[in-house]
Amino acid sequence: MLSVKNVSKTFGVVQALDDVSLEINENEVVGLVGENGAGKSTLMRVLAGVYAPDRGSLQLGGKSIVFGSPTGANLNGIGIVFQEQSLLPNLSIAENIYLGQERQFVRLGLISRQRLNAAARRQLEKVHADFDPRTRTSELNFAARQMVELAKALALEERTDRHLVILLDEPTSMLEQRDIDILFARVRALRARASFVFVSHRLEEVLEISDRIYVMKDGRVVAHMPVADATVPQLHQLMVGRDRHAEYYRESRQHAPRAEVVMEASGLAVDGAYREIDFTLRKGEVLGIAGVIGSGREELTRTLFGFLPQTRGKLRVNGREVRLNSPSEAADIGIGYIPRERRVEGLVLPLSVAVNMTLASLQAVKIRGVISPKRERELAKRWVEKLHVRTPSVDTLCLQLSGGNQQKVVLSKWMNARSRILIFDHPTRGLDVGAKEEVYELIRDLSDDGIAIVLTADTLEETIGLCHSILAMRDGRVTARFDASPGSKPSQVDLIRHMV
Amino acid sequence: MPPNTAARNWISIATRMRGIAPLLVLIGLVALIGMLKPGFLTLDTLVVVMADTATLFIIAAGVTFVIMLGGIDLSIQSVASLSSVIVAMMLPGAGYWAFPAALMAGLFTGAFSGIVHVWLRIPSFIVTLATSGLASAAALLLSQARSITIGQSGRAFLTWVTGRLFGVPSVIIVGAMVAAAGIWIQRYTAFGRYSTAIGAGEAATVASGVKVNRQKAIAYALSAGLSALAGILLAGRMSSGSPTLANELLLPAIAAVVVGGTAITGGAGGIGRTVLGALIIAVVRVGMTFVGINIFAQQMVFGLVLIVAVAITIDRGKVLIVK
Repeated sequence: MLSVKNVSKTFGVVQALDDVSLEINENEVVGLVGENGAGKSTLMRVLAGVYAPDRGSLQLGGKSIVFGSPTGANLNGIGIVFQEQSLLPNLSIAENIYLGQERQFVRLGLISRQRLNAAARRQLEKVHADFDPRTRTSELNFAARQMVELAKALALEERTDRHLVILLDEPTSMLEQRDIDILFARVRALRARASFVFVSHRLEEVLEISDRIYVMKDGRVVAHMPVADATVPQLHQLMVGRDRHAEYYRESRQHAPRAEVVMEASGLAVDGAYREIDFTLRKGEVLGIAGVIGSGREELTRTLFGFLPQTRGKLRVNGREVRLNSPSEAADIGIGYIPRERRVEGLVLPLSVAVNMTLASLQAVKIRGVISPKRERELAKRWVEKLHVRTPSVDTLCLQLSGGNQQKVVLSKWMNARSRILIFDHPTRGLDVGAKEEVYELIRDLSDDGIAIVLTADTLEETIGLCHSILAMRDGRVTARFDASPGSKPSQVDLIRHMV
Repeated sequence: MPPNTAARNWISIATRMRGIAPLLVLIGLVALIGMLKPGFLTLDTLVVVMADTATLFIIAAGVTFVIMLGGIDLSIQSVASLSSVIVAMMLPGAGYWAFPAALMAGLFTGAFSGIVHVWLRIPSFIVTLATSGLASAAALLLSQARSITIGQSGRAFLTWVTGRLFGVPSVIIVGAMVAAAGIWIQRYTAFGRYSTAIGAGEAATVASGVKVNRQKAIAYALSAGLSALAGILLAGRMSSGSPTLANELLLPAIAAVVVGGTAITGGAGGIGRTVLGALIIAVVRVGMTFVGINIFAQQMVFGLVLIVAVAITIDRGKVLIVK
């Protein structure tokens, strides 16, 4: 019925979708699985009319169709229940369900609350939710809000004659088992009136609810099969399914870390995000944290640079117990942070390369308490040379550099500040292959210099290739620890088993 | 298409407008008035215009520190008035001590605004609007809502304001010193550097370990401190202090900053540009008098000038949602 034909989509140098084709039949549940960054979310957004494909097309009942906008997708029967919920907390359930569709309830120029609430109640009945439609959504818990979102998607039935397709993007990641059971029961019951696309990291759930399964990897669909033919180990294999080239990650340059422990966590926890985290980090060690979105690894990374102080447990840095209440406290004790959002948190884009390189260490460019622009530029030139930053000059604004060179400026900033512990948060995101390899090379250089590194990487291959040791996380806990010395590196399947 | 091309174009247009346009506007305006009114282009007239501009410039220089890091200070005119009242009341008894007292009152008010702003995380325009009320009320209470004339004895302490040095009115010299110090602070101190960085990209500045809150508090203290200095100069030139002495200065001061080419969103510009902006405002004011625009209509012109200047220079790439 609804089909995706040879769709491609790129963002900058990143090929998010590569010649993807997919079929959704009437009254079926299609499961979509893949690692972080495999392209699932991009595909969902194409289906929901948020992104237009660069190449390829969407077809509805055999005819090509262009949605143009989320509204266009809605009018063709496509509804989406977002991973990050889209309800407005200050509005009632009814107001949320009919947001933008209030015209039908207008009588004499005013919205009839009675009609609005009655209509909302009919939608809620479809999902067997007996909430008062006048309740503010901020008063509902996560599972209840998700039911409201589902009801909102089902309200499309009244706006279009098309068969409904409802996209569920990671609907279970924040739910308790009891709520998952309820959600699945609703989905099974609603299959009579709609099709579903179900995206999840939890393979058992995908197997439980889906009729057919598509597996994505690196922006491509690598396999699809009826659920009867699928098993968890087989899906694991398909999700990772590529050989790792040892030299791509400079594994021959991986040396054993030194004995000295520079950072140590015991029982570290942030309520609601992660708990009972223990690890030690040695000089020159690269420690990888592997986990899917929602596993707590992003929050753990933020804790280590003072954005999100721990609520429990102990963190020791160079033997001293610390609680990092702000990034400046972290920077003061020699921790540096290479953020995922390079253009927002990494660099002050409208300022020059030199200014950005010295932002974390202005002391170093002062002479008798006064900034010396001359000294600053000399220092910046040294880093530009050392890290091979391709920039016309040190006065060039950072927004004019390519992603890889911007990343080198961020790194220079912390090397300039003489940070001894670096937190790398997705350091190769959005970089082309050449720039990635340069970052790998730099990570080996830093490691040789005795810098300790905590790495959350974009892919499992990267994590395995670069790290000395790896923590796998799931649902806020460490589920496994791996030694990743050259020659005894864990496989991707080993890791993913403990992540999903 | 690279994703940031559109943003880049906007930045370059905005940067170019901020760069050269203010100087051209100033030269154009001076030439225009000079043609219409030949008497304007004499040294004496220009010196008088500059002397009249000094207080406006000093207030505008103060608020430039705040605007550079992306905030706003609406308390500047009340602080200046409060300072004039303190000077007028204290001069007869305390002599020169009146000046540091007035300055301290300004610095304290500004530090209060800044600390409340960063600690309670309240938008700066709200905090400084409230502080403006506090300063105004303090001035009204102290002066019992009257204008206080500075007598003969007090005026003796004010010769550094009213006199001339090497033939130049000393207010111009004070203004020049403020300009030099301000430019130096912004260019050569960590505070100046961090302010620019905060205005241009606060998230990245925080993530670089900069103590952002501290820089903000300093900026508000400097802003109100310079407003207090302007209040002292006003008191000296008027030989009186009054709780409404600096009223009508808020709008032209902010207009001067923006017209000079400092981005209202922060991160680009500086006090050197505010010198140009204040001169433009002063020349516009003189021009309006020549053309015969009613003095009461002048604020209308400054309001329009402010809107036009912001519309031209605002960086659309940075401001996604305007409230």
